[in-house]
Amino acid sequence: MSVIAFILLGSVVLLPAAGLLALRWATSTGQFRCPDKAALLPFDEVEPVGMETDCILGGNRR
Amino acid sequence: MINQSQTLQNKTLRALLPGDALTGGGTEGGKKAALAEIDASCRVPVLFFFLSGLAWLLAGTVLALVASIKLHTPGFLAGWEWLTFANVRTAHLNTVVYGFASQISVGVTIWLMCRLCRIPLVAPGLITVANLFYNLGVTVGVGGILIGDSTAIEWLEMPRYATPILFVSYALIAVWTIVTFRLRAERHLYVSQWYLLAAVLWFPWLYGTAQVMLLIEPVRGVVQAAVNWWFAHNVLGLWFTPIGLASIYYFIPKVIGRPIHSYYLSVLGFWSLALFYNWNGMHHLVGGPLPAWMITVSIVASVMMLIPVITVAINHHFTMVGHFGKLKYSPTLRFMVFGAVSYTLASLQGVASAVRSISEVTHFTHHTIAHAHLGMYAFFTMVMFGAMYYILPRITQREWPSNGLISLHFWGVALGIVLYVVPMSIMGFIQGTMLNDAAVRFLDVVQFTLPWLKLRTLAGLLLAAGHVAFVINVGWLLVRMFEPYRKPVVSILTGEAETVAAAKLP
Amino acid sequence: MSYGPLLFLGILFTLASSWVGLVLLPHRQMGALGQHTDTNTAAIYPAARSGEAQQGAEHYRSLGCVYCHTQQVRPEGYGSDIERGWGRRRTVSRDYIHDKTVMLGTMRTGPDLTNIGERQADAAWHYRHLYNPQITSPGSIMPPHAFLFETQAIGPAGRSTNALVLEGTFAPPAGQQVIPTRRADQLVAYLRSLKSSGDLPEAPVKKEEAQ
Repeated sequence: MSVIAFILLGSVVLLPAAGLLALRWATSTGQFRCPDKAALLPFDEVEPVGMETDCILGGNRR
Repeated sequence: MINQSQTLQNKTLRALLPGDALTGGGTEGGKKAALAEIDASCRVPVLFFFLSGLAWLLAGTVLALVASIKLHTPGFLAGWEWLTFANVRTAHLNTVVYGFASQISVGVTIWLMCRLCRIPLVAPGLITVANLFYNLGVTVGVGGILIGDSTAIEWLEMPRYATPILFVSYALIAVWTIVTFRLRAERHLYVSQWYLLAAVLWFPWLYGTAQVMLLIEPVRGVVQAAVNWWFAHNVLGLWFTPIGLASIYYFIPKVIGRPIHSYYLSVLGFWSLALFYNWNGMHHLVGGPLPAWMITVSIVASVMMLIPVITVAINHHFTMVGHFGKLKYSPTLRFMVFGAVSYTLASLQGVASAVRSISEVTHFTHHTIAHAHLGMYAFFTMVMFGAMYYILPRITQREWPSNGLISLHFWGVALGIVLYVVPMSIMGFIQGTMLNDAAVRFLDVVQFTLPWLKLRTLAGLLLAAGHVAFVINVGWLLVRMFEPYRKPVVSILTGEAETVAAAKLP
Repeated sequence: MSYGPLLFLGILFTLASSWVGLVLLPHRQMGALGQHTDTNTAAIYPAARSGEAQQGAEHYRSLGCVYCHTQQVRPEGYGSDIERGWGRRRTVSRDYIHDKTVMLGTMRTGPDLTNIGERQADAAWHYRHLYNPQITSPGSIMPPHAFLFETQAIGPAGRSTNALVLEGTFAPPAGQQVIPTRRADQLVAYLRSLKSSGDLPEAPVKKEEAQ
């Protein structure tokens, strides 16, 4: 049981601590600045926002 | 005319502009490759995974039909020991999960990682070796199951002598993904990459741990069941679900040309999935001989899954709002949206079935089987079909040969899976109610299920028809790779927007 | 934005947490469970299986019985397991300590088998049921396991003592008899060994039923 208690207590302290440290690192290095830019990553100059790709059905092929 | 000028314009653009010239700077990475160049570099490795995956799909479909028939007609093929219901059912699960779904996942992961990292495929040899190991592992594993060497541990039935081969493959794929990630030309990460990276790192760990704790150095007693369901639920939660969601997050915005509804929500969705999903497994053991705390923890985590599910649902469905008309034109979008809606439904059904009072009825019944197919097929497989419809023409630089076969595929599998999941869910619920009433004879419960099980065979035939249509179309596409490219009126490879607008005109 | 390190840490921590919680802790809690000795009667539970039955358990695994039959009795008032007579008490972790592969099962296409050795002690019933379930349970959808038996000519010494008693449409042609193979013997030994109803402090059997 002492091992279980040790693991439980250890993880209760360590996991949130690690989370907080990671969060501090993330904010201090500007990881949360303008995340919406990331939403544009699938697009580029060849296939920009607004351009539909993969429209092949319902047309007059064949 | 519009087509040609558009094509010309695109080609000129591609030729004149280096990859990062128009993306607004801010890139510390190397030179970004053009999409066409990336697609071409993926051709052979991705085709390897897709084609071997589809071969396993056909095998798995046949096994599924045999198992389904056997359940309502037990005398069917009863003479052969290697074709008992248990063997066929298990071989079906392992061929479709490891042979088909996982291989298509790897193919899609490779392509998406290259595209989002903006580099041509690196180390194709590594990928080819991984593929060879993978198919060898599945062949040995499924063969082992059929000759009676199944471990009888659900989702881990492949015998001990097959699984290390698969592990090598998973490890190689994880290494390849990390290398690609390190070499990326686009410094910024898209949400799909998070899911993909997580999946390829989680899975070898999960698989290796389960193998060691169940087959190599087995733990004692019911701890086996705990390890079993920790693994089996995480295959879905930490391998298939992330890859499925990564695909939806990429393909829906890409096809309709509109960024995801809310990037903030996608971040929340990812971390809540990572936090809660891997605690879900013990809800498969409600009422079982395990300490109550374990089962309670899993039920709580299952209910907490509402957070990632609702965030993802809002994100996927709101992105689509106002663009449903495009379902008519894009096969990828059809399959993706079908999958995204099924993901929401499957997750809600899963949350409900985890609750003690509902699990009391649905546990041990066909309701669970229906739920598994709603998740693995209506969500995941449909998403993978959608991804293949997008990827295959681009890596082969050939158009889909037949629209009729695409429609046959979509409607066959869409109707088939609805006809499977809806009646089986209802039947399972009634079956559970009858089982919980001690006044109903057990054999009466068995007899009650028979007509529904026959309906399932019918649904299976529809699914099989869809699969055959798809495989024919893919085969045809491959034949065309050896012919010169002929441009159809509506092309997906060049100048989409303009040509479709033109095609829609009366 | 680049979440690289955060992402890697998160991926590792999340799975590690559930591994500790759902695998390591239960292993610490239950991995070393042993037999229980009753202080009054000195009865030891659960008793170890015979070698024959242990072999049978391997056939039970290899034939995939687990895909249609569970081996777990849910608590009283939760489902109808106890009302159906599948057990006199719920099953607990200690019941499974002798199982090489624990086959709790998740599907009840067929009935639960936790206590089948107690509910159906007759070996002849098991043999005939395995040979063709329609003999003992008409309407069952369990597949026949005739491949666990051999049909052979009756020798000069007359019918073998272990030949199956089969009547009507199930009977072999005249002059022939159906003999169980070694595997069938072992499997039946295993099925008859399935009994999980010993009195345990964590799962007491109700006194009026135990008598």
